[in-house]
Amino acid sequence: MDARTLSLPISTLDYKQPATVQVGSPVSNAIDLMQIEEFRCVLVVDAEQRLVGILTDRDLLVHICGKNLDPTTINVEEIMTEEPESLRASDPIAFALNIMHLGHFRHVPLCIWDEQQQEFPVGMISIRDILDHVAIFIESKKGAA
Amino acid sequence: MLYDMAINEELAQMDKDAEMSHKSLQVSEIQVPLRLIMRDCVTIDISTSTQEAIEILIENSIGAASVVENGLLRGIFGERDLLCKVLNRDVGDLTQIPVTHFMKADPKTASPDDMLDTAILYMAHGGFRHLPIVDERQHPTGMVSIRDVISYLIEFFPQEVLTLPPTPIRDAFKAREGA
Repeated sequence: MDARTLSLPISTLDYKQPATVQVGSPVSNAIDLMQIEEFRCVLVVDAEQRLVGILTDRDLLVHICGKNLDPTTINVEEIMTEEPESLRASDPIAFALNIMHLGHFRHVPLCIWDEQQQEFPVGMISIRDILDHVAIFIESKKGAA
Repeated sequence: MLYDMAINEELAQMDKDAEMSHKSLQVSEIQVPLRLIMRDCVTIDISTSTQEAIEILIENSIGAASVVENGLLRGIFGERDLLCKVLNRDVGDLTQIPVTHFMKADPKTASPDDMLDTAILYMAHGGFRHLPIVDERQHPTGMVSIRDVISYLIEFFPQEVLTLPPTPIRDAFKAREGA
């Protein structure tokens, strides 16, 4: 891991395809998806697939488990974080780290923008992807030593 | 000709400058003891109900906590257990079910004297976000999270990561062309 790596595009990391649910879906649908895909968050999109929010396992802890609510009766938009900060896959890795560090986020959606500046999610970079990258660096250095 | 020479000279200087400012994290810098990175330990007693354990996680703004019995580490309970074992499952009244029912028993641990690179490899290979730190008698003394690890590493690159413009400069050449 070095300064040059941080200027490389996020696409050089092994980022994931996003798991998405539509606005109006019950939270239980998002939970199903997270359990099946083994994701810790899902992106919330509108009918045109534009990004409108993000729902994480932390939101489930605080808003569903903490208040003892039934996830089949609550819609995703009621507990999601609206308009999350997003990046392009071509943006430098440093920007993903910056957003994660300053915003205390563990996930950053990766989007493409159309001419009207509407965001469409195409990926997801997580703090785990960064950690895995650092682990590869450590192993390579140890192997070389 | 003169123009080409000037350009080449400028490019050579830019390469030299880039090389000078090229910072690299050394493995030795990652070999810091975990006691310098870990945060205070929040514990949940083994007799606690799952609902009370959830409240402890929320009140302390943490993703996972150590479950202890007579001060000894018995397990770890966190967001992941709730997502995978509780939510959308017909598990019953969480105020009546002990946290031991859903915790991960005998989790991977590290000692305060273990190094950060060890913790990173544990987390990467084990797929977990929290590593309980215990002393030689299995008493929890702290917790290291994936966020603590990344925050520590970022401190080595303040210029590259922390002092960035709000958004990346994109399509710079396109913008210049249109101006």
